[in-house]
Amino acid sequence: MSLISLRGIEKYYGTYHALRGIDLDIGAGEFFSLLGPSGCGKTTLLRVIAGFEGVSEGTVTISDRDMTRVPPNKRPTNMVFQSYAIFPHLTVAQNVAFGLRRRSDLNRQAKDTLVEEALDMVGLGGFGARASTALSGGQRQRVALARALVLRPKVLLLDEPLSALDKKMREQMQVELIRLQRQVGITFILVTHDQEEALVMSDRIAVMFDGKIAQLAEAEALYRRPVSRRVAEFIGVMNFLPATVADGVVDAQGLGKIVVEDLQSEATTDGETMVGFRPETATLLFPGQDSEGRVARGTVSEVVYYGDMTYYDVRLDGCERPVRISMRNVFGRPVLDIGAEARLAWSPGALTLFR
Amino acid sequence: MLRTYVIAFLIFLYAPITLLPVFAFNSGTVIAFPLDGFTLEWFAALRTNRELHSALANSLTVAGTTAVISVLLGLMAARANVRYRFPAKAAAMGLVMIPLVLPEIIVATSLLVVVVQFFGWSLSLVTVVAAHVLICTPFAVAILNASFQSLDPALEEAAIDLGETRASTFRLVTLPLVMPGIIASLLICFTISLDEFIIAFFLTGSDTTLPVYIWSLLRFPKQLPIIMALGTLLVLASILILTLAEWNRRRGIARAGGSDSGGFL
Repeated sequence: MSLISLRGIEKYYGTYHALRGIDLDIGAGEFFSLLGPSGCGKTTLLRVIAGFEGVSEGTVTISDRDMTRVPPNKRPTNMVFQSYAIFPHLTVAQNVAFGLRRRSDLNRQAKDTLVEEALDMVGLGGFGARASTALSGGQRQRVALARALVLRPKVLLLDEPLSALDKKMREQMQVELIRLQRQVGITFILVTHDQEEALVMSDRIAVMFDGKIAQLAEAEALYRRPVSRRVAEFIGVMNFLPATVADGVVDAQGLGKIVVEDLQSEATTDGETMVGFRPETATLLFPGQDSEGRVARGTVSEVVYYGDMTYYDVRLDGCERPVRISMRNVFGRPVLDIGAEARLAWSPGALTLFR
Repeated sequence: MLRTYVIAFLIFLYAPITLLPVFAFNSGTVIAFPLDGFTLEWFAALRTNRELHSALANSLTVAGTTAVISVLLGLMAARANVRYRFPAKAAAMGLVMIPLVLPEIIVATSLLVVVVQFFGWSLSLVTVVAAHVLICTPFAVAILNASFQSLDPALEEAAIDLGETRASTFRLVTLPLVMPGIIASLLICFTISLDEFIIAFFLTGSDTTLPVYIWSLLRFPKQLPIIMALGTLLVLASILILTLAEWNRRRGIARAGGSDSGGFL
């Protein structure tokens, strides 16, 4: 049984069609991400769930209750805002206790205990008396989390919560958010434009373009089996090669002929199309190495060295655009030079055929 | 050269004001050097002057009422301006702000015509307050606009998200955060209304305000030292109010965790 159920959500701003027919079910205890470029409607959808935006059409159901017309203060959802929205005139503890103000069933001592527990949970134990303006970005983020989680909402909504942090802090908070979500068991819905963030943290991801959900899948399935070229390009890097389909056989530029059944893709019609593969699914053969499988030939056109990895751009024979191959560096093995002859070992199973 | 200019400029600006206390304590009735001797006579005269007291009371009443009404109106206008989109917003806000640059003599004359000719009301402190609200509101709007603009809209949404109603959100979050702006605009409106002359002169009936009373004293040369004493007290009060306003503004910035930019002092 799903905790949140969205049916036929349409949202117009004047003539602008921001959300187009969104149907979505999110389960209890799930870490769910809405992923997409800016302007795709992901934040609008989150605000619809929170109740800050009304819908033009459709229904929002949370815990089997119709919440479509219920204001945000009456919904079992809490939000962590992109700007964190920490009240600057209140201390850390007063910020966290803000939502408990209306809980008449708790006495002051019980509230203080809850606040202290929430601060401990986000690693800010003992910070209660501090002025909220004296905190760093990461600490403000934690206060925002504690302030929402202390109310034990059914759903925690996170609007690009990590976008204001630097890279190191961001990676640390990603791990911490996963830990927190497992600890409290609350449904988390994360809005992000960062595909890596979504892949790392989520159980399931909805990729959105132009107000619509383009693909809804688990992280691995999303990466391995993107349903469209646009999704594939948005999630990680994918090489695309022009191809022709005829009588159940694909002829891909630079790779040669492949039987359609060997590819991972649904049935397709004859005609011009594209095949795609991820940089790490093909292997460059170094001098002395051989492959049992299929090998394509070409030349190395660019080398980008990353320390643990090297990215090679390889121009396959009979192919205009180079493909990108990522290789883990092995101690003692020299990196290939630009202009070197390249042999690319690949397997049809790693290829996706796009319509 | 520049240094000489600055010094000359400052002397031109402040020398007349520093003359006020000098002659306020001078025992001679003629405002001229050399000074005669030290006296507190003029300050004592201020204490016993009934007309002055009632003018001062009138002015304080008018200024206080004006400040409160202007700031309430300013709050609503500024919030609407910053938070909402509505038809003809630019035009509406422009019309609210125009009294800022309208010559006061125009405002005073037209209001006099409307009040006396159209409605046949008698002139009183109420008509003065109404006119002062008209010219003070734009100042309140300008100050409060800045306050609302620096207020993250997510703060109000966060309060609602945490279970508060719109009304309690305004009380718990919005009001405390724009309070420095409210206090600053109260002080400004109070000061503007307190020393406003043209409108007060046109629209007061039998109850005069302080500036109008001072103007009436000028016709009697013997009263000049008393004006000097009164002026001295007013200068002190102005400095006090300005210091208060600035202190309040800086405290507000520190409280919101921002860095200082601009201000009066």
